[in-house]
Amino acid sequence: MEVTDVKKGEFLVINISGRLDTSNYGELEKKLIGFIESGDKKIAVDCSGLNYISSSGLRVLLMALKKITAAGGKFHLCCLQDNIREIFEIAGFTSIFRVFNTLDEAIA
Amino acid sequence: MEKHLSIVNQLAQLDELAMAIEGISEEWELPMSLSMNLNLVLEELVTNIIFYGYEDTSEHQIDIRLEKNDHLIMMQIEDDAKEFNPLLMAEPNIENSIEDRKIGGLGIFFVRKIMEEVTYKRDGNKNILTMTKSIE
Repeated sequence: MEVTDVKKGEFLVINISGRLDTSNYGELEKKLIGFIESGDKKIAVDCSGLNYISSSGLRVLLMALKKITAAGGKFHLCCLQDNIREIFEIAGFTSIFRVFNTLDEAIA
Repeated sequence: MEKHLSIVNQLAQLDELAMAIEGISEEWELPMSLSMNLNLVLEELVTNIIFYGYEDTSEHQIDIRLEKNDHLIMMQIEDDAKEFNPLLMAEPNIENSIEDRKIGGLGIFFVRKIMEEVTYKRDGNKNILTMTKSIE
């Protein structure tokens, strides 16, 4: 997994690529908590390069969604690959996350 | 066609498992989505076994067998962890609001949603979980 971040307008865009699983979810968790605690309230996660996610990865995204929503912010996702979208749908995550088709829409 | 993988109860083995599944999928020419789903099912089950299955700190072996025929993949996991029948776990409520959503049980839920037939057997000190999935 590779995680990079860049500020775009009001949003902090986090790009996750590769595999997000039990062996590395802690790394993303630490980063997300760091951003949220330093005051970032509008985060968009670009998943175009994410090609595998397991329940450990979903747990981290849900944690971030809960924290940011509680703080009155926005946590958007975009650009899910078909395989990832299927997992989101099975988990019922498409109804609690705001998922956009493009990054531009996610940070609009 | 049949493959056998043997790992020990350490999370570091998950990477090797993923690579092994990738290799087998290539050899068997499985679609990418199926390969990813098999990997996910294995990760969820093996993670559960490693996290919750053992009361000692010794090394334990987990055996995974995969079989393929024209239409079907069969996957079997055999471990000597404490008795655990994933089919008896309550399904998570996936319709709760953000505040009420819990992540527990989601891994096993994936297994049951992705695989078509799942059977559990306790045989002596072994858990044997057998699952099938059609090749589309």
